[in-house]
Amino acid sequence: MRVRHVLALACAACVLAVLPAFAEGTIKIGFPIPLSGPAALYGVPILKGAQMAVADLNAKGGVLGRKLELLPRDSKASADEAVRLARELIIKDNADFLAGTLTSAEAPAVSTIAKENKIVFIAPSAKTASLTAPANLHPYIFRFASNTTTEGQAGAIIMSKWKDIKKVATIAPDYAYGRDAIASFVAEIKKLRPDIAIVDQQWPKLGEPDFTAFITAQMSKQPDAVFCDLYGGDFVTFVKQAMPLGYFTAIHNRLADGGEVGAVDVTEPLGANYPFGIWSDAYDPVIWPGHEPAAHKAWVQEMKDSLKSPYGSGWAIQGYSVILALAAGIEKAGSTNSDKVSKALVGLTFDTPAGKRSFNANHDADTGEFWGEMVKDPKYPFAIIKDPTYYNPEPVAVTD
Amino acid sequence: MAASFLFSQFVGGLTTAMFLFLIASGLSLVFGVMRVVNFAHGTFYMLGAYLAWQAVQWLSPTGENFWPAALLAALGIAVLGAVVERLLLRHLYGREELYQLLFTYALVLILGDAAKFIWGTGQLSVTRPPVLAASLHLFGAEVPLYNLFIMILGPLIALGGWLVLNRSGAGRLVRAASYDREMLDALGANVGTIYTGMFVVSAFLAGLSGALVTPIESVVPGMDVEIIVQAFIVVVIGGLGSFWGTFWGSVIYGQVLSFGILIFPGFSLFSVFALMAVILIIRPWGLFGRPIR
Repeated sequence: MRVRHVLALACAACVLAVLPAFAEGTIKIGFPIPLSGPAALYGVPILKGAQMAVADLNAKGGVLGRKLELLPRDSKASADEAVRLARELIIKDNADFLAGTLTSAEAPAVSTIAKENKIVFIAPSAKTASLTAPANLHPYIFRFASNTTTEGQAGAIIMSKWKDIKKVATIAPDYAYGRDAIASFVAEIKKLRPDIAIVDQQWPKLGEPDFTAFITAQMSKQPDAVFCDLYGGDFVTFVKQAMPLGYFTAIHNRLADGGEVGAVDVTEPLGANYPFGIWSDAYDPVIWPGHEPAAHKAWVQEMKDSLKSPYGSGWAIQGYSVILALAAGIEKAGSTNSDKVSKALVGLTFDTPAGKRSFNANHDADTGEFWGEMVKDPKYPFAIIKDPTYYNPEPVAVTD
Repeated sequence: MAASFLFSQFVGGLTTAMFLFLIASGLSLVFGVMRVVNFAHGTFYMLGAYLAWQAVQWLSPTGENFWPAALLAALGIAVLGAVVERLLLRHLYGREELYQLLFTYALVLILGDAAKFIWGTGQLSVTRPPVLAASLHLFGAEVPLYNLFIMILGPLIALGGWLVLNRSGAGRLVRAASYDREMLDALGANVGTIYTGMFVVSAFLAGLSGALVTPIESVVPGMDVEIIVQAFIVVVIGGLGSFWGTFWGSVIYGQVLSFGILIFPGFSLFSVFALMAVILIIRPWGLFGRPIR
């Protein structure tokens, strides 16, 4: 009988010990992200990645003994809507932190709300350099993606090795992301290869359905190579129109695209119509011939299962990683106070499925991009990145 | 600059123009005859693209059966047009134009969400039909055979439409309906059937152009709103309700856009909007339209 009493007491003690943790409730993370419209193509996998991270962390007991709770909202890829949602998440839903947003239009807008409300906000995919430029930097904004400066420089480093090219053209969507990335590319290529001339620059709008005139106008300047920043559906449309016009033949497939068009999200719909031989990048190669980190192998399987897609997405890793970064920051701060977490995040190194990353004093993660030549592989009905190399912005060897 | 480049710029502009004409012709027809500004015309176009993709998947994903798939999609949209006109739109003919605008705009939202529900938010892609996959070497420029096909189809549809409207009994009734609906009704013609017929033809054209665009563009949510703006610009330049106006409006739009990009690459959209502004100032009723009395 005594034993039973002891057991009962022990159980009661256990419950009591756990209770305070639950009494504090969950740690709420507001996550405005495009879930409808064309941008949902990337918003949905980023959110799925974030949900995976929350589930994984909660399975291990949460952070500081408290469970994480994700509050996803559809930003419709609009800066106004993202701002409204961010306010609502903070005031009405008592979100402790903000993460999410997709584009370089939404993230800077939400950043101002984070500043106003003193709430840490980590952007997973916005690349525009202006997000963390000195004029816009404040203690609460952090960015996980590589920025447009890195992207343009990586493209320039790759192109500088194509020894016989003299005339280079650029084509990119006409908004912050495209303009910033091209500016960085042009500055870097002029430094690396002063013999190269920029002969043409095209600026189609985001979501342009008809690139024909841009393509023929660019061909008329007879470039040897092209740096391109079209991405997603725009790139698919561009390729379908450029291919029969002889665009890729004219430049001997010497095109480098920094818009993640090496990711399965774009290679799969293009299938055999992909311009094999161009160079491109991905946040996550997903299919990773060569030196795939062991942690990534296991993670990719989990990601494909959770997306219910045979080839997964190159964007889920962004959502997954921002949640891991935030959790690591909270853990280090020992608190959910945004001032303390902000201090903890600066200089913090954390794990992601693709390796360790750190936030620098400028609140940018040292995230690079996985670049490589796009090649055919008999195992897949679409292009894959041959031997993905990590550029940040210089090529770096990937280690486990 | 070599002449071959100017030629390929011209051909590019003409392809753009003929695609726009295929879409805008249906919009112009419905406005000309029924005085309905159909915002959902772009959505019919988008659904035509989705249906074509779907039909290609059913018949053969490699693209041999693209033509029957495109026809199937266009017919599917024609049926949808009939349902929309018979069950819903006809109750609004007597009302103010604002109600029709609101109704067709509601269709844009409802059908757009339905498409997202059925096909998801990803981008879909259709392979070029193998017969027209190659390109023709013409005056030193590469002209894709598929673009050439569109450049021939556009004028054919314009000519066919003009012949039917101006040289046939049915066309006479349609023209009469556009001038004076009540009078025609009083003379014993079935105006209801004429309206349904017009709406179905317009939906068919929208569905067909949506299906035909799939080999050269990706199918994505939002392509409806994108195209309807351009179609409206073309119709406004040509003159609301004028069939030939829409044709020449498309040709001018395509060439101004194409050469605008070549000459001012930094301001790709500027040229067409400038064109529209100039035409609206000089001839507010469009190039081929008539001043409203």
